[in-house]
Amino acid sequence: MRELQVGMSVPDFTLTTFEAESCNFGEVSLARQKEEGRWTCLFFYPADFTFV
Amino acid sequence: MGCDIVTVSTDTQFMHLAWQREEKDLADVRYSMAADTTGALAKTFGVYLDDAGLALRGTFLINPEGTLMHAEVDFLNMGRNIDELMRKFKANLYLAKKTDEGCPSKWKAEGDQTLAPSPEMVGRVHEALRK
Repeated sequence: MRELQVGMSVPDFTLTTFEAESCNFGEVSLARQKEEGRWTCLFFYPADFTFV
Repeated sequence: MGCDIVTVSTDTQFMHLAWQREEKDLADVRYSMAADTTGALAKTFGVYLDDAGLALRGTFLINPEGTLMHAEVDFLNMGRNIDELMRKFKANLYLAKKTDEGCPSKWKAEGDQTLAPSPEMVGRVHEALRK
């Protein structure tokens, strides 16, 4: 796959999540974000229990 | 602001839960904490460290059409500042509505001066910014 660059289309993804607000596990999917017309900010960090 | 924040690490959702419960600074968390346990998403965005199995501190903004609009990567020991990020988020949201404008470097919020590129402005940005 070509390296992702700004201006390119992000391939769809789905990940399992922890939702602190409802204290439940959930799912985030780019396809659903697009359906709902929402922006998505992905915030990567090395590991839990480190500073962000 | 119509943007969902999703934090991503290679930890499991169970670790996210434990961390959020334990760390007082995370008591007010409202965002989703995603588990990229295979590192697949980190690899897609070029922030996966093969040797460590960890992700670099990458920040990516995706618009509602699924297009990557902003990408920034910091090293492991560099914390990100919300004010720095917010300026870029706000500018991206603004430019999505005003596609014929450009946000200059000093732009901070809606109402601040923008630039609409034109032949007259070539070589005259200095004057345009001081109108």
